Amino acid sequence: MARVLEVKKLHVTYGKIGPEVLKGIDLNVEDDDFLAIIGPSGAGKSTLIRCINRLVEPTAGSINLFGQDIRAVSGSALRHVRRNIGMIFQEFNLIDRMSVIDNVLAGRLGYTGMLRSLLRWFPRSDIDRALELLDRVGLSDHVEKRADELSGGQRQRVGIARALMQQPKLLLLDEPTSALDPKISREVMGLIRDLAREFKVPTLCNIHDVTLATEFCNKIVGLQDGHKMFEGSTESLRKADLDRIYAMEVL
Amino acid sequence: MSAVAAVGTESGPGAAGADRVIQGKRTGRLKGLAVIGFMLAVVAWSIDGTIIADTDWSRIGGPKGVFSSLGRFLQLDLGVLPHLIVPMIETFMIACLGTLLGCLFSLPVAWLGAANVTPSRLVAYPIGRFLMVLSRSVHEIVWALLFVSAVGLGALPGILAVAMRSVGFISKITAEAIENIDKKPVEAIRAVGGNEFQVMYYGIVPQILPVVLGVVIFEWDINIRRSAVMGLVGAGGLGLLFFRQMNMFNYGGVTMVVLAILVLILIGETVSHFARKAVT
Amino acid sequence: MVFGIILFLAYSIAFLNIDLGRLPGAFGRLASFIANRYYPPDLDYVMEGGYLLSVLDTLRMSFLGGVFGVMIAIPLAWFGAFNVTPSRILLYPFGRFSIMSCRAIHETIWTILFVSILGFGMLAGVLALTVFCIGFAGKLFADEIEAIDKGPVEAIRATGANALQVFVFAVFPQVRVAFTGIAIYTWDVAFRAATVVGFFGGGGMGWYLKRNIQQLETERVGAIILSIIVLVLIAEGLSGQVRKRVARAKYGAVDQSAKARLIRRFCLPLFSILVTMTLPISPVR
Repeated sequence: MARVLEVKKLHVTYGKIGPEVLKGIDLNVEDDDFLAIIGPSGAGKSTLIRCINRLVEPTAGSINLFGQDIRAVSGSALRHVRRNIGMIFQEFNLIDRMSVIDNVLAGRLGYTGMLRSLLRWFPRSDIDRALELLDRVGLSDHVEKRADELSGGQRQRVGIARALMQQPKLLLLDEPTSALDPKISREVMGLIRDLAREFKVPTLCNIHDVTLATEFCNKIVGLQDGHKMFEGSTESLRKADLDRIYAMEVL
Repeated sequence: MSAVAAVGTESGPGAAGADRVIQGKRTGRLKGLAVIGFMLAVVAWSIDGTIIADTDWSRIGGPKGVFSSLGRFLQLDLGVLPHLIVPMIETFMIACLGTLLGCLFSLPVAWLGAANVTPSRLVAYPIGRFLMVLSRSVHEIVWALLFVSAVGLGALPGILAVAMRSVGFISKITAEAIENIDKKPVEAIRAVGGNEFQVMYYGIVPQILPVVLGVVIFEWDINIRRSAVMGLVGAGGLGLLFFRQMNMFNYGGVTMVVLAILVLILIGETVSHFARKAVT
Repeated sequence: MVFGIILFLAYSIAFLNIDLGRLPGAFGRLASFIANRYYPPDLDYVMEGGYLLSVLDTLRMSFLGGVFGVMIAIPLAWFGAFNVTPSRILLYPFGRFSIMSCRAIHETIWTILFVSILGFGMLAGVLALTVFCIGFAGKLFADEIEAIDKGPVEAIRATGANALQVFVFAVFPQVRVAFTGIAIYTWDVAFRAATVVGFFGGGGMGWYLKRNIQQLETERVGAIILSIIVLVLIAEGLSGQVRKRVARAKYGAVDQSAKARLIRRFCLPLFSILVTMTLPISPVR
């Protein structure tokens, strides 16, 4: 039960005079967590997730990943941090014209040398592993297809395989099911939870469907307007807490 | 679901799949290499025929010679500055008048070349389209040469040449805009008894105006660049000054003229950027 | 505001000493000039070996200018695209500025400048065309890159890839088809410019034009201008066809094989035509 991620007093302001999106967030993730971040739209959930791998730059506060202050790194050190963090996106963010297998192999870019990656000459061990992961997510029959020939659910599963190719020590999910219909959403969330447990990867998930959050995640963090309104295990989440988190949405 | 098997090169369905993937990548890479190889061959053949056969390497004088030539350009001759003003204004005016004239010429050509309003799809439409292509295919220098022969030296042939060169693009975009209009306002005006001119003025023009203004401003910006070289063949503006400075081997003066052109282009780009935003 | 523009235009006409009386007659004079002096065009002149070789040279120059220009334009456009540039403070202004400088100066001025440094001939011509193509293609490339979907870019960045890997994996696949169309368009425009580059000492057909104008051989001038128009029209037609095929390939999963077929069907016969054109002509220059 080691602490994987420690976020302290995180502030994010867009632009020099823009709105403050995160107003001092504290957050802890343990190594066996599947943590959901819930809240109304505009609460800052997406921004919080993106701060962890610095796709968004925090304005103040500290983020410690495996004891390393990731705000202090840059350049190749930052890329080393990023390659250990797998990310799955709401809009899948695959390379449409590339094949499924190449999309999954792209997950190894942080580990592949310049010449090899430009020629797409990934080592055999990578290719073996990619095929295995595609088998695990149930896409063995679609390996050579172009990514834009797949359905939404299938594309997200490619995204899952890509993230896992990185052999990540942390998984970030940014509304992974918002673009999928309810039945597929359930399957995808289940798949992610099972794989995360199997590979022992702690997961941080930004999600707006509270039902899915309570069903699949063991911890909940509720955000509203950049503030943390709730943090605790899923069992301890009460209706009163939900009312507090979503208070603004009544309007 | 099965537990994750150890990654390795064991035989089985997994290994065969990996082999297929690697094979596919290999063929892809070979195809890419073949294309690059072919292109390289054509490039080498072209270089041999042009540069290698044609260049007098001794005259260039090696890298030292090149650098000293470049250096001569960098010795700015500031004495040319006062002489720049009038040609700069001239060039600017040639661009403006040329674009305006080009607009006027474009209207009938666009009308001919728009499939929905052309008087005759069999005859007028191809003529319109051909005129558009012809205007764009003849280089502005060639147009300038033609007009200098016809009307003599000065700013007028430059304006005419710029106008003729612009007709192609302006009329092409205008014709496409006309072809994309909403028919309902046009039908409405016909229904109340408007004649062809009223149909055009009240039904078509308001719809296409933003697009047409946008392309006119765009072409005006490019025409500044073209107007600057009209003087190289006697058609007015900075080109003439450039020509004279080169003939006097006053390289520092040549650089000043080039800088003057850059200033004009900068003005044109800025105005064009904001004007196009205002129009669309 | 419109009134101000009209006022300015009226002032310009006076400032430039334009004799508006000459204007309506201008086209009549042009027509009669063409009819009397340029007609009948001396077609035998343009069919002989020396001129045909210069046509081939013009083609080669435009090809080289296009290839080198596009190759240099791609990294410059990458630098000059605000969304994916590897360095917003250094490389972005450098990329944008380079492309704008290449664009701003007319190709004939580039030709004269290169000729004065490197002497007459096709080296100057090719370099001038290369710089022209960098400016032309670079701007179109950069605009295309700035319009891409940023999702895949974010995803590849998130895997720990460096800027070049992000470009190759996330940016280039999205713009590859558009780039091919732009490259072909650039070659087409470069060919148009190449026909007159020789007028200013850059080699190719334009030099014949200049020489015959100076020698007042107007029927030959007419033939040369006619040949320029015909060739440019052919080039425009060809490039239009190829671009249509490339655009159609955009919507199919057969992208790779379609491109290969395209190249085989188009380049091979073109190459053989060019080769056969050189054979009956003496290689001695």
